[in-house]
Amino acid sequence: MAHQSFAELVGFPTCLGTPPKGTPDTHGTTVLALKYDGGILNLGDRRATAANYVMYDRADKVLPLDDYTLVAISGSFARSIEIVRYLKHAFKYYARTQLQELSLEGKLQEVTRALAGNLPMTMEGIGVFVPLISARDNNTGRFGIYFYDAMGARFESGEFGAAGSGSERIRGVFDYITRTKGLFETRTLEDVLVDGLIMLDIAAQLDAATGGFDRILPSACILNADGVHDVAADMLVSAARQAVRSDQLEHGGGAPAGGGVGK
Amino acid sequence: MISPYDWQQSVAQRAQYIESRLRGGSPIVALAIEAGTLLYTYRRHVRKVYEVYDCLMFSAMGQQADVENLRLTAVDFAHQEGFSRSEADVTIGRVVGFSLSNPMKRAFGDITSAPFVVLALFAEMNHLPAEDLFFTLHYDGDFEMSKNFAAAAGTKQAEERMEAILKEKYSSSMTLEAAQELADEVWRIGADVDNNGEPDPALIENARPECGFLDRSSDNQRKFRLLK
Repeated sequence: MAHQSFAELVGFPTCLGTPPKGTPDTHGTTVLALKYDGGILNLGDRRATAANYVMYDRADKVLPLDDYTLVAISGSFARSIEIVRYLKHAFKYYARTQLQELSLEGKLQEVTRALAGNLPMTMEGIGVFVPLISARDNNTGRFGIYFYDAMGARFESGEFGAAGSGSERIRGVFDYITRTKGLFETRTLEDVLVDGLIMLDIAAQLDAATGGFDRILPSACILNADGVHDVAADMLVSAARQAVRSDQLEHGGGAPAGGGVGK
Repeated sequence: MISPYDWQQSVAQRAQYIESRLRGGSPIVALAIEAGTLLYTYRRHVRKVYEVYDCLMFSAMGQQADVENLRLTAVDFAHQEGFSRSEADVTIGRVVGFSLSNPMKRAFGDITSAPFVVLALFAEMNHLPAEDLFFTLHYDGDFEMSKNFAAAAGTKQAEERMEAILKEKYSSSMTLEAAQELADEVWRIGADVDNNGEPDPALIENARPECGFLDRSSDNQRKFRLLK
């Protein structure tokens, strides 16, 4: 007989019950996953909103699930954090009871199951969870970016992935960058980091639910062959300066862009 | 009808039976050093040192099915606690004291069921070596806590000899290599069950060392790894 799953052990996802209708919920985000020559970079803005109210400006939306898997969350913050906690425990519970690492396919399937279990909350419109998974397959050493729909269908994305309210506004820019600068997976981390931050900054300008990084730096994590690490603070600061400078600040921020009258 | 005398007799016989079975068990050495926490023993076919939770591990001697039972109960309890409360709320004292000790005590005292033939050593890594905790859990559900180092062996005498060497040579500042060497030396003393100067051949032949290590400085999600 198969050993009980962690979901059975803790009675997930039904253990939380369904919250009453109209519960205020925290939402809105832009998170990005970009390949680079050594792995995958994840970026996330840090704003958490409830309708037009900014709840929090230091939310962490890029989280490790284990040493080979990163998740960037968007949607309902409360629900997402709970599902991430569940997935983290489900992976390590499997590894410790079965004395072997859960396969990549097994991990991705567990995410599908968690999403399917969350469908009633999604249908109510109050507990949407849209994860963006970056993972390293330990058998092949290959890196992959995966995204899901609300019902749990999984898709693999070749070069980049983006999720959250701000991601719609910038999706085309990724294609533009890969066509003009080459594939992300052939470029260095420093290089990809600057492009990623520029896109996050654009998303913050176009989407009220996405926080910019003029005061607080975004979350930046990498997944490489050694595991999961935060991007070094000095590298992040210098890339952020480069991103903002090349965008607007020293080129007359405040002047009307194209279509304006000018002076 | 079972009289109190019968019960006492049968419990004494059970204890004798279990102790005779444990006598041939491979000793376990636990050390807390700056680099991390170690559990050291020798193994043959099956693994001997297991991860229980983020900063918890254990090793045991005895009947394999009983060890496995103990292991899964501990892992279930730890993960349930960690998920429904937080990672920081999973402590070795609660795993041993609340989830394992009671069923073992019950099985031992209930003469109609099989007792646990097992002697287990649990380790918890904390921020500093001096804060690390070791719990030795006996077949009757009794347990004791120690710090810095701990030893478990098939006989009380062997255990005392192991502890004497540990007391003399242990230092929390020793390197990982030195700690493994000390653990090996201490293991050999514990494996010398009859105290005749060398490890019992039944314990060392075809066996190889196994060292479970919780890495104190690791940034990884998973701090546990097997060293050999």
